[in-house]
Amino acid sequence: MTPERWQQVEEVLQGALDLPARERASFLEEICADDEDLKREASLLITAHDVAGDFIEQPAIAEDAHILLGESVGRDVGPYRIIECLGSGGMGDVYLAHDCRLNRAVALKTLPAYLAVDDARLRRFQREARAASALNHPNILTIHEVGEYEDIHFIATEFIDGQTLRELIGNLAVDEIIDVSMQIASALAAAHKAGIVHRDIKPENIMRRADGLVKVLDFGIAKLVEHESSGDRNTEADARIHTEVGVVMGTVNYMSPEQARAVEVDHRTDIWSLGVLLYEMLAKRLPFTGATRMDSLVSILEREPESLEVSDDESELQSLRFIVDKALRKDRTERYATADEMLSDLKRVREQGSLDIPSVTVGRGLTTQNPRFRARVIVAAGCALMLALVVGAITLKRPVHREANIVNPPSAALSTKAYLQMSEPEQLAFISEQEQRVSAMMGDRPVKLNDEALRAIKTYVDSYVSLGQPNDVSGEGLKATFSRAQTHVPLIARSFAARKVPVIIGIYLPVVESNYHSCYENTAGAKGLFQFLPGTARQYGVARDEMCDVEKMAPAAAHYIADRMAELGEDSQSLTLVLLSYNRGPEGVRNALRELRDTDNYQRNFWTLFAHRDKLDEQFRKESAGYVPAFFAAAIIGENPRAFDLPTPPLSTLADQ
Amino acid sequence: MMATLSADNLTELLIEWREGDKTALDKLTPLVYDELRRIAHRYVRRERDGHTLQTTALVNEAYLRLAGTKSIEWQNRSHFFAVTAQVMRNVLIDHARRRLYAKRGGHAQRVPFDDVSLEMSEQRADELVGLDEALSDLAKLDPRKARVVELRYFGGLSLEETAQVLEISLMTVRRDWRAAKAWLYKAVTSDR
Repeated sequence: MTPERWQQVEEVLQGALDLPARERASFLEEICADDEDLKREASLLITAHDVAGDFIEQPAIAEDAHILLGESVGRDVGPYRIIECLGSGGMGDVYLAHDCRLNRAVALKTLPAYLAVDDARLRRFQREARAASALNHPNILTIHEVGEYEDIHFIATEFIDGQTLRELIGNLAVDEIIDVSMQIASALAAAHKAGIVHRDIKPENIMRRADGLVKVLDFGIAKLVEHESSGDRNTEADARIHTEVGVVMGTVNYMSPEQARAVEVDHRTDIWSLGVLLYEMLAKRLPFTGATRMDSLVSILEREPESLEVSDDESELQSLRFIVDKALRKDRTERYATADEMLSDLKRVREQGSLDIPSVTVGRGLTTQNPRFRARVIVAAGCALMLALVVGAITLKRPVHREANIVNPPSAALSTKAYLQMSEPEQLAFISEQEQRVSAMMGDRPVKLNDEALRAIKTYVDSYVSLGQPNDVSGEGLKATFSRAQTHVPLIARSFAARKVPVIIGIYLPVVESNYHSCYENTAGAKGLFQFLPGTARQYGVARDEMCDVEKMAPAAAHYIADRMAELGEDSQSLTLVLLSYNRGPEGVRNALRELRDTDNYQRNFWTLFAHRDKLDEQFRKESAGYVPAFFAAAIIGENPRAFDLPTPPLSTLADQ
Repeated sequence: MMATLSADNLTELLIEWREGDKTALDKLTPLVYDELRRIAHRYVRRERDGHTLQTTALVNEAYLRLAGTKSIEWQNRSHFFAVTAQVMRNVLIDHARRRLYAKRGGHAQRVPFDDVSLEMSEQRADELVGLDEALSDLAKLDPRKARVVELRYFGGLSLEETAQVLEISLMTVRRDWRAAKAWLYKAVTSDR
């Protein structure tokens, strides 16, 4: 239509609209004469006018005010009208909503879109939530509906008007503490009997109403973000989820040791977490904590909490301390076997004022019973020059003081003294001590290294230290390498956390490859910090000219590792350390991983692989023998900047930023 | 920039915008967007309390707040209304497109999921995008009618305010409105 024609049409339209409806037909006949097209156009518009009703009569802001506010307030999700945002987090948002059918307030929890794009995850979300909705217990939040509206997945639950334990935790009297703990234990007992483990007991997930009734929220939902088993995996959707860097995980302070290690958990993980809560309510501080996430994890795995201060005549508190101790055993077989048992102890304290505590079980002294956690390490060595990345165990951390089973207790004098100022025996002792620490970071507690292994590491340390010296023209200085690492470490750590691949120590690779430059290209065409081949990079969404961009490559590398881990089938969950060569290609990496599994069923860790390398075939030995000591050398330097006169903080501390 | 924009700047920018300087709108947008959020906030709050309110009054208030009391020049205020409507349209349509893209666009391009999660329903996004396209078509046939709709629907102006801003009679606005509404309704409901 042209503007001129429209003018004509409009004239007819306006004329007709000025008339009463019954006169319009004859008006059209008359004015349009034999212009059938004009008549048709005008009558269609007349009809439109008559039926348009409220169309665009309300200004957009009436309907879309919430868009401007960046909120969902006012919009409907199925039968639920959102009234107010109560909170948001990595697991989604929670809203106060009005159930228009039943005319009641509900809490509406929505699954964030990035989680909802994964079918497997979604099915699990629904399965878990439905299982949890079958729980019928006064202390468990009632789930009304697990549903979907358009593409929003939600859980509608009863709305609790109360305070979270987070708000209350510092101000509870002892009898309130016992009462709250009992209600939680009671909820856990019921859920555990139904086969449901909460997995995320923390103050934010506990609410207390004004009348004192405690509700445990979000049963089973934590499983949603856990590492998934391979059978459940949807690679394409997964890729999308995990390339979204920055999936923030919640606090680690309430995690059990088995969660910290990312191994299979059972109901006893909830008993631990309740122990942490009880401790925190009593002591007004956390039992396991640290300056960084990693420190906290190490604390959970290795340390005993500061004992609760209780004087001899406070039998009630002594009994509670006993309960806390029993819930907080690192070895879950030593904890309360069931929440019911814990509940009945709490009950006895409430009713009798104390427990009959057998004197032998009081007190700590648990250190020697700590399970020796064996890191399972897989080394898939590349045939080419370059290792691309080391993905480290979840316990990467800053040095903490070690406990009983350290072979050579660290000497304070050694750690502060510059490496170059040490005598050779001192250097060896330093390396031995630090190697143990780095191994502990990776979740391993190795026995002392043999002399050959120590000297091999020392060779690498020495060669790094001499790099960039006036008489050395080949490599860049340590300072330059490590200062570059300072920007890369947080980025890489975030990418890998988003893929649920445990924390990185891959940053030491630039040091392992002493000639590394941020865009180094090898003869095979592999390039950049992660040494992908261009084809592989493209597969993971990185163009050739972006391969030196760490920001692009870090998520791709995390994705790549996670894919290979998934291909390991059921063993992928037990992986705590992967050392991979990207430029060998997925097939090669997979084969190497399989070979390792077949050779020793992953029972080997990093250093034993080195020390007992005769168990593996010749080619593998040749490829990996150098990496292992080189890696440790790099890690020892990175963790002890002062001893090597570097301006950086210990690199592992950057991983939390 | 928002904070430092003075009343004089505002007047200047409004004049530049009227004279067709495209960059003026870019400069005005964050400022106006802020005001729109404020308006939206009050709108939602009052709606919850069961009151209806005139958007015009709120836009007016916003203008006075921005411009200060010293330069209540009617023409500028009219332009401010017009700019507000345009910004509102841009914001909503942008949002709607992203919403539809997140749903249908597949995997090719990254969409910031969080930005589009819950806020706008798919149906609403469809409506808005359809209306926007139809309105652009209408603007080619009859620019004034398109402006009437933009001011009324996106700017929230009453018929009277619209007449003042466009400097046309109330009668003309009424007639423009009914014709435009019919035209748009037909456009968005027929298969195009």
